[in-house]
Amino acid sequence: MYDILIKNGLVIDGAGTKAVLSDVGIKDGKILAIGENLKGGGRQVLDAAGLVVSPGFIDPHTHFDVQLLWDGAAKPALEHGVTSIIPGNCSLSLAPLKAEDRKTLIGMFQQIEELPPAAFTDAFEWTWETFSDYRAAIEGDLSVNVAPLVGHSVIRLWVMGADAQQRAARPDEIEAMQDLLRDCLNAGAVGLSTSFVDVDENARPVPSRFAQFQELDALCAVLGEFGRMLQIVPEFYDTDITIARIDQLAELSLKHKIPTTLSPVFDNRQSPNNVPRTLARTEEQTARGARVWPQMQTRPIDISFSLLRPSLFFARLPSWVKILRLPVTERISALRDPATADRLVADVGEDGGERLMGRLIVRGGGEAPEHLVGRTLGDIAAERGEVPARALITLSLENDLEIAFLAANGGHDSTDRIGPMLANPLVHIGASDGGAHLTSFSTYGDTGYLFSEFVRKSGALTLEHAVQKITSEPAEIWGLKDRGMLKTGYAADVVIFDPSTIDRGIERPVFDMPGGGMRYVRDSIGVDTVLVNGQIAWAKGAYTNAQTGQICALA
Amino acid sequence: MSEAVVLAADIAAGHDGDAELVVTVRYENGVVGVVSLDADCAFDIMQSCGAASSADLVGRSWHEVLKGV
Repeated sequence: MYDILIKNGLVIDGAGTKAVLSDVGIKDGKILAIGENLKGGGRQVLDAAGLVVSPGFIDPHTHFDVQLLWDGAAKPALEHGVTSIIPGNCSLSLAPLKAEDRKTLIGMFQQIEELPPAAFTDAFEWTWETFSDYRAAIEGDLSVNVAPLVGHSVIRLWVMGADAQQRAARPDEIEAMQDLLRDCLNAGAVGLSTSFVDVDENARPVPSRFAQFQELDALCAVLGEFGRMLQIVPEFYDTDITIARIDQLAELSLKHKIPTTLSPVFDNRQSPNNVPRTLARTEEQTARGARVWPQMQTRPIDISFSLLRPSLFFARLPSWVKILRLPVTERISALRDPATADRLVADVGEDGGERLMGRLIVRGGGEAPEHLVGRTLGDIAAERGEVPARALITLSLENDLEIAFLAANGGHDSTDRIGPMLANPLVHIGASDGGAHLTSFSTYGDTGYLFSEFVRKSGALTLEHAVQKITSEPAEIWGLKDRGMLKTGYAADVVIFDPSTIDRGIERPVFDMPGGGMRYVRDSIGVDTVLVNGQIAWAKGAYTNAQTGQICALA
Repeated sequence: MSEAVVLAADIAAGHDGDAELVVTVRYENGVVGVVSLDADCAFDIMQSCGAASSADLVGRSWHEVLKGV
């Protein structure tokens, strides 16, 4: 008898093969059998008629390192069908970390993840310094599987202390970093992350950015001993430098026989050659035998701003720029001045800003009144008897400028262009940044968006191909052993979803971070049940008590 | 050989949700490239070269614009 028998589902195995009506039998956390009309019964039988049964989704670019200490489900990632996550990206992990360096790392994490300070003081006990002890700190309470990267910046911090953010390493320090990385890999790290872009809370480059190439090369030699991944954040805003990084990754990949990945890679109308050139170079290097995987997210990028900081959203409105660059108190005084406000409104054009500002959406989470959240500025302006530009000013003043507006789909938003890119065999779907940018935008639901936008709406990918791109492909790229496919003997990480409705919900603010901190989330739509290692972790809209997540075994 | 010149200056969404200024430049050798600038940098160069708006950057000498960085 199976522990769980999933009957009558449209089984997509993750390998890209065509979906078939079948049953899936699960026992002891593993897939025991797949076939029509499986006999033997199950202690629990799930009827998946009309639904897809697929492997659990894998999110290869997250920052859940801190959240995992109080939330082993990495909510809400799991309810979107994500059963395995890779935290520790962008050179930052929570271990190895000496006690005296905690404050330094917290600053870096706050900059990237936008976690409230209470997340580091109230939500957990710092019980670890080594990577293996951090692993022990999270391992018992996991509902989701974790394949943690170790961050280059923290490796540097451990070995060099404050000098890590000031200079290149000496040969003896590089050797110490190699030993430390080796310890982390022995403790289960899936690879090393580094960054050429990120900064700390004081806008200082993170430690990894002070490394010279011989340091990275030496660390990759250690990765080569284990065949583990190198993840980098390249200078993604510059195509030429990104291409140079691809060449660099290719050399490291070939020399040390390691997989490498770079994230993020974006498309937008202003630099339409960026992705084609990036992929062309990747193709050339792949043909040489290098393993270089550009990561691309599915979701569009929205522009968010308030009048608290000057935003380039107003870059074509000189009078607005002039006012918004004033110190805040003077800015507020100027906006309160009727003549100035009249001039600003006049300068947006005869339509009062309807075309430019009418579709802006009021965001929640700040001081925005609840009844305005999610509504368009044009709608609110009409209700108030104002034009949108006037409403933007008055709403901002009424809320001490602490009201944010969102211009949807400001970049990476052309479905016709991005669909084929996501389908490209060279592209690794990822870069969700799950668990980061908490107060800026939601980093959850990219998988649902993949199905709604690029399978159902545009048809750029078949259902089977989309599943493959976020299951077996990432498992193979990252070396996650016996995951990413519905196959006998594999871990029973399973998602049951409705292919006709799976999607991401609207972005909404919640105050569930330690200390009542805010973040933006998206609910899942169309995901019926999620199993992690053979236990139901989420079903019919609710989390269970299952804590069967594991640190992923590696191939 | 003509000097490097700004061909376009467009607003785009950056990775972190902030608006960025994407400047398209044709260099002296004819190569066309793009440079992304964050808000502070973009406003600084606009002020430095007396551009009232981002659109005013178009047609200007890239080397003159760079003096504001």
